[in-house]
Amino acid sequence: MNNLIDFGKLWTLLQFDNADPLVFQSSLFLFCFILLLLVNRLTAKNKILRVSVLLLFSVFFYYKLSGSLVLLLLASALVNYSIGIGIEKGRGISKNILFYLGVAANLFLLGYFKYTNFFIEIANSTLHKSIQPVEMLIPLGISFYTFKAISYLIEVKWETMQAEKNILDFFLYYIFFANISMGPIDRAYLFLPQVKEKFRLNKNQISIAVYLIILGLIKKVVIADYLGLNFVDRVFESPTRFTGIENLLASYAYSLQLYCDFSGYTDMALGVASLLGFNLMANFNNPYKAKSIAEFWRRWHISLSSWLQDYLFKPMQLGMRSLGMLSNVIAIFITFTICGIWHGAGINFVLWGALHGILLIFGMLTAKPKDRLYTKLGIKNNWILNIFKTFITFNLITFAWILFRASSLELAKEVYMQIFTFLHIEVLPQFVKGFPVIAALIVVGYFIHFLPERFENWVKELFIKTPLPLKAVILALAIYITAQAKFADLQPFLYFQF
Amino acid sequence: MGIIMISERLKATILKELKLDDYDIQDTMRADEVPGWDSLNHINVIIAVEKEYGVRFKNIEVLKLKCIGDLQKLVDSKAENKS
Repeated sequence: MNNLIDFGKLWTLLQFDNADPLVFQSSLFLFCFILLLLVNRLTAKNKILRVSVLLLFSVFFYYKLSGSLVLLLLASALVNYSIGIGIEKGRGISKNILFYLGVAANLFLLGYFKYTNFFIEIANSTLHKSIQPVEMLIPLGISFYTFKAISYLIEVKWETMQAEKNILDFFLYYIFFANISMGPIDRAYLFLPQVKEKFRLNKNQISIAVYLIILGLIKKVVIADYLGLNFVDRVFESPTRFTGIENLLASYAYSLQLYCDFSGYTDMALGVASLLGFNLMANFNNPYKAKSIAEFWRRWHISLSSWLQDYLFKPMQLGMRSLGMLSNVIAIFITFTICGIWHGAGINFVLWGALHGILLIFGMLTAKPKDRLYTKLGIKNNWILNIFKTFITFNLITFAWILFRASSLELAKEVYMQIFTFLHIEVLPQFVKGFPVIAALIVVGYFIHFLPERFENWVKELFIKTPLPLKAVILALAIYITAQAKFADLQPFLYFQF
Repeated sequence: MGIIMISERLKATILKELKLDDYDIQDTMRADEVPGWDSLNHINVIIAVEKEYGVRFKNIEVLKLKCIGDLQKLVDSKAENKS
């Protein structure tokens, strides 16, 4: 009997291990989550108990991701909770001071953990110093939870929502495990009312949640991880060992990998949260179908792009409105450069963000002449033109993703050089023959992505209508397939690093 | 929250700025639900409304707007203060 459960092993399993973060697609998470669903159901009628259980689980989840840094998360939650109330009670200048202090504290926290070594690196290279980088563990999800905090403080300051007085409810908003590590960056005014509502879950919601979890699992484990480990990582490690066509295909594969990785995570997060009675913000809407860069940003990482739009772009744009069109130009460039910096402490990310800013400005300035030209030619809503626009937009985005993926500017340059000066398109048939699974995954992945929305809705509806036993079989099959595809260790999500 | 009627004057100003012949603008709609009213055009719509009513909105008043009904309320309150 004593040997039935190895408590020593169980204890180790529940402890923080930096090399083995708790991710949605792990069996430990699956086991813990089923237990949580049961307890959530049992405590459904007692709100305080239910919220407390969800909080405890969230603390455990974050501890498994970041160890003792969970204390920093809790301290940050407490500070923002108090400042929110302070802002609401404050009058005149004290209100403003408290608000700016709160925003500055969050930015300091983010800046210290994420950018200290970046600035040291810049200082070393520009001032020829040799300052030692600071050894520290970056708290996972810090970019996400500090942005959540800032949006909350702004909304309270704008008086578009009341400060949350119930500390348990606020903490659940702040540290909820489903969106703590990689978003969505949920808004307090959307999430908090849900905490106060009675727990309800109907069959339809369960079906959609299970569908999302299956979809997310397949996107992440079957497509993203396979392409990443077997193709993208190898090419981006040493681009000069591969021809231009392989570099180009690896770049297309990376566009798909990043989308499947991040949106796969989001699908799972939305599904997991939905089973517990919470609707999180949508984050993706078939981004590569966009016909312009501006449209891409309305479809990609929506909780971040709308955050940047509401709390950074619009205030800047309004503040400079006397400048007319120039206000848009300046506000776009600053917003997207900051968007780049938010994604990572490195010159690649800054350039990636600035490049998106420049592309957006170009799109904005040429919108009217292009519109006049298309009208004159009578092709304004022509489907061929739309396909052309989507093709160009997708290639521009992929071109920019190279900067995002390459671990240094030199490697990014190598990828570009290989593509533009050493293409060797004749290698393509050999590549397809040599790596049929990779080629098939890229083709199938993009084919599904570009299918009309009504097809996607049809599949979802079909799943909802499927009898329960068959749903269970599909879920089991998805878990089996993903387990088979786990040819190596579990791969953490790409956006974990942000 | 009760229904806020979007006045014909406000609707006409918005439609003219967005070059739309007609569109059913409801109070609960967000700006981005109206064709052409994106974040870049937002500033032009706001300036057009200011001109039409001869008022000037504070930045924070515009930033607080969550839906078109909020814009109607803001316009009404400004017009009231003027008279």
